[in-house]
Amino acid sequence: MVTQVTVAPRGSRRRIFGETGLDSILPYLLLAPTVVLVLAVLVYPLIEGVRTSTGFYRFGRRLRDVGLDNYVQALHDPAFLGSVVTTLEFVAAVVILETALGLALALLCAREVRFVRAVRGSLILPMIVTPVVVGIIFRLIYASDVGLVATLARSVGLAPPEILGRPNAAFAGLVFLDVWEWTPLMFLILLAGIQSLPVEPFEAAKVDGAGAWRTFVDHTLPMLRPTILVAVTLRSIDALTTFDQVYVLTRGGPGTATQLISIYGYQTFFQFQQFGYAAALLIMVALVVIAAAGLAVGLMRRRR
Amino acid sequence: MIVSWRRVGYVAVVAVAVAFAVVPLLWMVSTSLKSNREITQDGTLIPDSFTFANYASLFNGREFGAYLTNSIVVTAVSVAIALLFGTHAAYAVARFRLWRGMERYVGLALLVTRIVPPIVIIIPVFLLAQGFGVLNSKLGLIVMYSAFNVSVVVWMMESFFREIPVDLEEAAMVDGDTRFAAFRRIVLPLAAPGLVATGIFAIIVTYNEFLFALVLTSTPAAETMPVGAATLIGRINIDWGAMSAAGVIGALPILLFSALVQKHLVRGLTMGAVK
Repeated sequence: MVTQVTVAPRGSRRRIFGETGLDSILPYLLLAPTVVLVLAVLVYPLIEGVRTSTGFYRFGRRLRDVGLDNYVQALHDPAFLGSVVTTLEFVAAVVILETALGLALALLCAREVRFVRAVRGSLILPMIVTPVVVGIIFRLIYASDVGLVATLARSVGLAPPEILGRPNAAFAGLVFLDVWEWTPLMFLILLAGIQSLPVEPFEAAKVDGAGAWRTFVDHTLPMLRPTILVAVTLRSIDALTTFDQVYVLTRGGPGTATQLISIYGYQTFFQFQQFGYAAALLIMVALVVIAAAGLAVGLMRRRR
Repeated sequence: MIVSWRRVGYVAVVAVAVAFAVVPLLWMVSTSLKSNREITQDGTLIPDSFTFANYASLFNGREFGAYLTNSIVVTAVSVAIALLFGTHAAYAVARFRLWRGMERYVGLALLVTRIVPPIVIIIPVFLLAQGFGVLNSKLGLIVMYSAFNVSVVVWMMESFFREIPVDLEEAAMVDGDTRFAAFRRIVLPLAAPGLVATGIFAIIVTYNEFLFALVLTSTPAAETMPVGAATLIGRINIDWGAMSAAGVIGALPILLFSALVQKHLVRGLTMGAVK
């Protein structure tokens, strides 16, 4: 990856750092712009967000402090709880499908060298395409009159299916969209993981006459576990706050079939102008994401 | 014989995967080149007669030229700021002993700000931007995106700098360079692959960003491409030709950019996950 250079022993790294004069404040000068920027633009709003979440707002004005009432209200809000369930179902579905498909494809491509570049080249496309445009693409595919699915169905004499108009079909359509967009990322991560595995265990397994499936279960999967865990964590964190594609494809509908937490929070804020309540919802989402990330980091540490 | 059957299976699976990835994109392109009559009545897969009318409509009377300019300006400036600030900060934490061993926590703290989903701060950011009068301005977006990107840059570049041996800088300093000159002259060029990968990642993510641009902008004076495309299709709803052309134009800049940097793309995209 990086030009291979000998890494200096850790102790020697700071050999020349007891500087005096200007050099003693140099690192702080180097850090200052970044720290100021992050504190001002990311950390301060986060603190503001917590403060907002304890207020009651009407027409964009804070009327009174309500403490944790917004959080309590959220836990009794069927629309919010419904969006949590929808989000978890969505994340579970896409992460499982994308991991399985990405792994299968990576295994296939790791063994063969032919076409790998072309496959990689075309598989990268979906994950680069602007998420809003991905939403557009799938509207063009699912459109009940002129969409690709309808056109194909008609060409084989079937009635064009209604996809975005029916709750279950719309949810499945959203999952399919996400699988199209993000399986490539899983594929790339897992392919890199497989290619960095040591070859000895596989040679040994071959000598022992182990079949492909046994080799996979006994060697590939255990050694690949950390990579899979990282990939699943990254993907889950991102999927939990999916917004753009849903905004363009369904806006959460029909009904609440595709109303993910992010969409519900956005609507609470902009349509209903309930600033405090919306802030509380989103902070709860953040806590879940941080907990999930912490859990994953913990798991990875323990495994080592 | 068995080997060749295996190969057939392999080629078949690969072909399906490639088709799966590419066909939805081609369908959008194909739709964008059809006349509205052909889209709604004929139901062809490939256009019978090509027309660029859908594209022309995006630039005449609609504001896609402005969206494009805004996107390019906002992306370029914010990624440049993030790289400038971030590489220096990363160098500081990679090489110096800071007050109370803080150098060990800066990277981690910045990573945490990345893990917190951006949507969480959207409400206070909107209210603050309103207060500072930077709603619907490119400046507001630039500040926002610089902050998002800078934490990624520090996180990535710190590990790149750590892999470069300290001896090289020491040698330069013995030769009379200042510490800062040694960083610029010796370390930065060696970390170039990391800079490129980080920059590519930041450019793609920033160009594609939608939520903050949607919330912070409201007119073509500042709206970026994703916002322009999304609001257009919200308004036109069933003008499929214009919708598909908007999709193509919306994604085209970032796809062209990706084609240009093809060689470094995979690394940029999988960064952070595999190192």
